[in-house]
Amino acid sequence: MADSRSSIAALSDQLADAVAAASASVVAVHARPRLPSTGVHWRDGVVVTTDGTVRQEEDITVSLPDGKRIPATFAGRDRGTDLAVVRIPPGSLRVAELGDPAVLRPGNLVLALARLDEGGARAAFGAVSATGGKWRAWKGGEIDRWLQSDVTIYPGFGGGPLVDSSGQIHGINSGALSRPLATTIPVGTVNRVVAELLERGYVPRGWIGAAMQPVRDDEGGGLLLVSIEKDTPAAKAGLFLGDVIAAIDGKTLESFDQLLDVLSGDSVGKKVRLDVVRAGKRREIEVVIGERPRGRGRR
Amino acid sequence: MPSELFLGDAAARLRASVVAIVDGGHGAGFAWGGGGGDLFVTSAHVVSSRQAVVVTPDGRAVKGTVVGRDVDRDVALIHAPEARVPAVTCGDPYALRPGALVFAVGHPLGVKDAVSVGVFQAVRAIPLGFGMAEQRPRRGRSPFIPWVQADVRLAPGNSGGPIADVEGNVIGVVAMIVSGLALAVPAPDLERLLSNS
Repeated sequence: MADSRSSIAALSDQLADAVAAASASVVAVHARPRLPSTGVHWRDGVVVTTDGTVRQEEDITVSLPDGKRIPATFAGRDRGTDLAVVRIPPGSLRVAELGDPAVLRPGNLVLALARLDEGGARAAFGAVSATGGKWRAWKGGEIDRWLQSDVTIYPGFGGGPLVDSSGQIHGINSGALSRPLATTIPVGTVNRVVAELLERGYVPRGWIGAAMQPVRDDEGGGLLLVSIEKDTPAAKAGLFLGDVIAAIDGKTLESFDQLLDVLSGDSVGKKVRLDVVRAGKRREIEVVIGERPRGRGRR
Repeated sequence: MPSELFLGDAAARLRASVVAIVDGGHGAGFAWGGGGGDLFVTSAHVVSSRQAVVVTPDGRAVKGTVVGRDVDRDVALIHAPEARVPAVTCGDPYALRPGALVFAVGHPLGVKDAVSVGVFQAVRAIPLGFGMAEQRPRRGRSPFIPWVQADVRLAPGNSGGPIADVEGNVIGVVAMIVSGLALAVPAPDLERLLSNS
């Protein structure tokens, strides 16, 4: 009996220890009215939170674990992966101890942390629900791993870390990427996006300036161009309304996601060869991928 | 998994002190204090009249009289002389760290004596931006009422029931759910609230 009581008490202590350890690098980010969001001191002087919770790019402040509130400067945001970065003076608090999300398996106990006020860190508890490979968020961002848990993302918990029972941080929780389960943007994706945001303030995305929809006939499928904007890569390459893109660089095109894959990563400036069906005849057209104008599709 | 593992012991002990309060609707309550197992704490919103039926863990429905009530803090005290239910032991929520395991016992959606497990968050005023926080405080009352806040999934029927630490010591009386967060009246406040009422 004594053993069983101590084992549950030991688990409880371990969870509280994990919260105490990880929360030393967790801050409150005041970048919207009323309720702050949570942020993680990802690298020295660099705080990561979610894009959706940053409503103002000026007069941002950050509450530290010791209760002090310091000014922060906006460094950039990426709507696609729901991440935003602000800078604070280096040495302000401990830097996050990052884990490897690949070791998490469904059933592992995890905590979501938050800091909402001067009253210490907060925690929500649950288990990893599902893991998997690369996926694309509905806002368009590529996310390296699928990491979902049944932890409740309470108001203000967005931007906070997903923590394992040893206190290591495995990513940033977003309440906006998928509901009702909590989705975590894994460490690898956060690292990649943070590097881009610190360098440019945004994540460049490939773009050709045309809208299309999937179509299919006896000879196969493709993407039918339903609108082309002026002076865009699609227009410059001589694509017309009604053209059907049947393949890119020799690879048959059947879904929109395939095209998004071609336009992702460091695709800007690259030349791709399209197999286009126009008036029943196939022809090849080369397009230079442009950079999607910024501000497009923002709120 | 044998019941000794995980919360088995503490949950069994606490469940033995939890009753159902029937007064039109259903709520939970628990035996409290040294009065010989005849005093029960519940939420004020669970009891609307002077009389209520107390259903003991062994299924007896006995008569109870509301002898104390603090509507603002949403706690009430019921005297049920025939109940004879062991009183809970109280713990100190102010001594808990965020992330510590806690559990509630109640009758969510009519499920009798259900245990819900989660973690402790804070004893504080409701954070700004959560549903209730912007409500104007009543004149003369502090807007900064401390609540035990916990990440435990509760439902109607948990009201008035206990929320406890891993040892089964009661840290609060479940009062409401705001933005999904469980709020409970801190156990150390009970003595004062119920003696004043």
